[in-house]
Amino acid sequence: MTQYLQHFLYPSSLFVSKEPYLVKTILGSCVAICLWDSRLRIGGINHYMLPTWNGNDLASPKYGNVATDKLIDRLVFHGSRIQDLQAKIFGGGEMMESNTKTLIGERNIRLARIILEERGIPIVASSTGGKRGRKIIFFTDTGEVRHKLLEKKTL
Amino acid sequence: MSTNLTDRQLLKELRLRLEEGKKSQKEITDLTLDLQSVSKKFKDSEALKSHFISNISNEIVNPFTSILGLSKAILSVEKQDWKKVVSMVALIHSEAFNLDFQLKNIFVAAKIEAGEIAPNIAKVNIRSLLQTVVDSFNIISRKMGISFDIQFNIEHGFGKNFYFKTDSEKLKLILSNLINNALKYSYKDSKVVVSVWLDDEDVLKIGVQDFGTGITEKNQKTIFERFKRLDTGINSINRGHGLGLSITKALLDVLSGNIEIDSKKGEGSTFTISVPEAKNIVDGFSGDGNDIFFDDEDEIF
Repeated sequence: MTQYLQHFLYPSSLFVSKEPYLVKTILGSCVAICLWDSRLRIGGINHYMLPTWNGNDLASPKYGNVATDKLIDRLVFHGSRIQDLQAKIFGGGEMMESNTKTLIGERNIRLARIILEERGIPIVASSTGGKRGRKIIFFTDTGEVRHKLLEKKTL
Repeated sequence: MSTNLTDRQLLKELRLRLEEGKKSQKEITDLTLDLQSVSKKFKDSEALKSHFISNISNEIVNPFTSILGLSKAILSVEKQDWKKVVSMVALIHSEAFNLDFQLKNIFVAAKIEAGEIAPNIAKVNIRSLLQTVVDSFNIISRKMGISFDIQFNIEHGFGKNFYFKTDSEKLKLILSNLINNALKYSYKDSKVVVSVWLDDEDVLKIGVQDFGTGITEKNQKTIFERFKRLDTGINSINRGHGLGLSITKALLDVLSGNIEIDSKKGEGSTFTISVPEAKNIVDGFSGDGNDIFFDDEDEIF
């Protein structure tokens, strides 16, 4: 395990590497999509907070549609072919009772499924929804994800 | 299922279906409208982006032209006229300062849009950080006859130092943008008030107040949009790329902070940022990344 470089993924950012990395992140209502290329054995992950870009802010990976397009683009830049990619999606919990109206988690999950289907990338595993946060560790070389639900508390 | 419907039942069923049809039609209309507004926004934003590119090339080319011209002029100054050099160097400095500031903004915006921005937390001496930022605008503010009034309302720690865990580079750029804007929209011979305090929950507050043009309520809603500029700058002959406040907002996101405006047309504006102190531990992971990350309870996907 010592050969792994580590990266902590913050919200609104994304990470892709050719080197084996373990990427850790914490998710509440945010969603992270882990993409893994089975041919090149490389991977990438995003961590977005809201489903779609509003056209006003910087077009950053804070927004699911931007984050997912950019993640795919980045992998393609590293030599991936779309047909070799598979996805695992995590997060999208409704953390706060007051959020039940806005359903941010739910909308984040839905966006991931829609975009991935559009791009023809299969979702091979997922753990989404619920009321608890998650901690995940993504291994970019094997595509493995270690996942743990967090104790219920505000993130 | 009975196939023999009475006329009444048939009528009822038809009416129901018609209503359902109408409902879905309305949904479709609503969705289409949504789509249209989104695609209009995209188009607008793209138009702004190309406008931005032509803007920005001016912003880079013009200062360079001045710098090149001025330094050439300095080279040919006769020795006895050395005093002329001082003012030319001051001009070079202000052009270079502006160029550097704009480029920093552009690179940070590119980093944010690429998803490559992360907080870099350290104990920051807020007073000296603020002083550094304000000092960097001294030459420009003096030229405009604008004075800074710094109100530091935190008494803490040793002497006058106040340390706060945050990202100093990001905070610097946020403050630079707010101060730059305050100067840009100020009238000559006025002042800019920068006040610093902690609220009841120990959230760091920094307010930057100018007594310039002010912003109408309608415009207050749009100024955070990327590439958006209001053409009301007094001292600017169309300076700026309209990225400053979008960057400020995105950087505050990284610091889990936010920003508020209080402004009246004709009376000036106050921008106040709130920044909570960064935690050493990002829920569940220690900041240094040397924690034990494997756990028997981990599920493997």
